[in-house]
Amino acid sequence: MAEISLEGSQPVDLLKHPSGIIPTLQNVVSTVNMDCKLELKTIALHARNAEYNPKRFAAVIMRIREPKTTALIFASGKMVCTGAKSEQQSKLAARKYARIIQKLGFPAQFKDFKIQNIVASCDVKFPIRLEGLAYAHGHFSSYEPELFPGLIYRMKQPKIVLLIFVSGKIVLTGAKVRDEIYEAFENIYPVLSEFRKVQH
Amino acid sequence: MGSYELYRKSSIGMSLTDALDELVTNGTISPLLAVKVLMQFDKSMNDALQQKVKSKTTFKGHLHTYRFCDNVWTFILENAVFKTDNELQPVDRVKIVACDAKIISR
Repeated sequence: MAEISLEGSQPVDLLKHPSGIIPTLQNVVSTVNMDCKLELKTIALHARNAEYNPKRFAAVIMRIREPKTTALIFASGKMVCTGAKSEQQSKLAARKYARIIQKLGFPAQFKDFKIQNIVASCDVKFPIRLEGLAYAHGHFSSYEPELFPGLIYRMKQPKIVLLIFVSGKIVLTGAKVRDEIYEAFENIYPVLSEFRKVQH
Repeated sequence: MGSYELYRKSSIGMSLTDALDELVTNGTISPLLAVKVLMQFDKSMNDALQQKVKSKTTFKGHLHTYRFCDNVWTFILENAVFKTDNELQPVDRVKIVACDAKIISR
């Protein structure tokens, strides 16, 4: 298998990542249904690290330190878990929150766990001519530096949104599975190379 | 206009409550007057802390637990340090209860 070593880290599988760069997952958002009605005030009063301000938001906001995540817990029993760095961590965190709810006396289950979004980022380590890229890929690109300094690239296949910055830093979002992130990055990498800014 | 009854549990509030209890028990004052005094105490404590106390204390520590419910923040800090005009007071564990003064005055 073709492999190279990057900056002393573990070898990169060049068949899967021909660019030699693997985007780093930064945020995973998941949902799960505990399938029981919850008394949010009881939860806010008895669980640690909880916020409940029904005038502002109709959910309890709870945090745990490992995996470092935040959960939004609704009276319907539905929960959103954000902030995890991987799919497994997101599921583990969601299980921990459900366990906390169970310990407070609610018959919480763990139904329909689903990863809703994955955000990743990486650095191609060369500057990019965003105007040229936006012009050549006008159909997918939106670049309005007066509004936002990055180019917004809405890839169709896979359906991923990329934020591309002059510095060569890239953010990828909208994935349901991590392979969509990898695929989107490998699709865009040759384009980024094409619009590499020549430095004087 | 109401005030928080938070400071009744302070040393000065407890002493006042004890004194009033005694006066009510031996019939010197009516229970109604005692309640009125306590309500004035609540108000005076809030006023005094707002207007007369000029000293400032800052503190920091490791946030072990927090909670926000019914507009009250509760924090448990570990290894906290309280700083009052350059005087440092370390504390192993401290619980902080913070209420919004604006809410009750409405």
